[in-house]
Amino acid sequence: MFGRSSSAPSNAEDFSAEALQFLEPLFATAMRLTRNRADAEDLVQDTFVKAFRHSGQFKRGTNLRAWLYTILHNTWRNRRRDASRDAVEVDSEQVEQAAAGAGGGEPVDTPERILMRSTLDADLQAALDELPDAFRQAVWLRDVEEFTYAEIAEMLSVPMGTVMSRISRGRRMLFEKLSSAPDAPVLPVAADAAGSRR
Amino acid sequence: MKPNCRRICDLLTQYADGTLPDAQQGEVQRHLDACPPCRVIAGKECGARQLLRASADRLRAEPLPPGLRTRCQALAAGQSTAYPWLRPSIRFAIAALLILFVGALLSIVTRQSDALLAAQLTADHVKCFGLFRPAEGTSLDAAQAQRMLAERFGLDVHVPPSSTEGSVDLLNARRCLYADGRIPHLMYEANGQDMSLFVLEGESRAPAEFTAFGHHTRIWSRGGNTFVLITPKADESVAAAARYVAAEAH
Repeated sequence: MFGRSSSAPSNAEDFSAEALQFLEPLFATAMRLTRNRADAEDLVQDTFVKAFRHSGQFKRGTNLRAWLYTILHNTWRNRRRDASRDAVEVDSEQVEQAAAGAGGGEPVDTPERILMRSTLDADLQAALDELPDAFRQAVWLRDVEEFTYAEIAEMLSVPMGTVMSRISRGRRMLFEKLSSAPDAPVLPVAADAAGSRR
Repeated sequence: MKPNCRRICDLLTQYADGTLPDAQQGEVQRHLDACPPCRVIAGKECGARQLLRASADRLRAEPLPPGLRTRCQALAAGQSTAYPWLRPSIRFAIAALLILFVGALLSIVTRQSDALLAAQLTADHVKCFGLFRPAEGTSLDAAQAQRMLAERFGLDVHVPPSSTEGSVDLLNARRCLYADGRIPHLMYEANGQDMSLFVLEGESRAPAEFTAFGHHTRIWSRGGNTFVLITPKADESVAAAARYVAAEAH
């Protein structure tokens, strides 16, 4: 697994080597942000330029991986803001509207037994990419990257309560997308991951 | 939704993550046992989380674009000296930026100037070799570079491959800023020297040669595109390589 370093690397070379360990997952995250390989590549490269330039600001004893993801998301936000200030505002408005409407959908006939079946990664990735940006980011950082709510709040620059509600809505929307896909009997209709605790 | 259901739903994210204190976890569980609508919502949340956790390693294993790791390593190597501002790459970059700035101002006056074109692209040549030189012994497949040009620029350009003629090695393919857009930049090593080939799509210019900023620039056009070749010197050591590239690029 990817080392969750809790201590700062001791010198510049260690810092670089440790930071570069996260290149692949950072690129995968950049792909989910940009949904475009060329932009993801530029974004990751910019992230490392900033990380190396500001390595002196990295606080010993904090999490290098979380720090790099914060830079990645800040860089992406700034680009989006530069690209179109208005679009960002509209987007966040849409997100809140979608948040208000999501999750209360029609009850699904939930089977008693839970069958965890593997869905094709491509379907899952496509369903993720269809989520509104804010939900996709929150769900990805929590469920794929396993960051804490507080770390995600810092990365996305939103309050922790917002992070949790975005994760919640994002997961429900993802589930609904996958279970409503035409040829996708894919989902673990997990009325209870929960159930295992009974 | 009943007030109690609403309160339980607010806890479902932490419930699915298993981060609730035991007492609350039990309370949510008891509610779900008794409340089918909430159980459905919890099922969606837990199901999506389980699926993502099970697929996380594969989702995270996105194949890297060619050269990205090398470039990031080069950035790291560039940052590890004691006095960052003294590093040659930064000096090159500052010089290149100054030249680009002056160039950009001048380009407003005369976009067609060959000397200006030579100066701007010489700056890019210096900057890119300063910052994005691939690791020793790395070379790039011409077909791969060609695909990149086609995908990113819609350019149909024949990329001269590495060749023993003139000891030419294709090292890297990048995009560089020029005038209003980005143009392809092919980085070669020719007989041990850095050599750059730039392509300006849809432009034709009369053949020209310049020496500026200690570099030699050759400009020519073919098939509606203009090619600009930059070498450190005009001497014999790169003449064969320059002839090879000029004959191959089209």
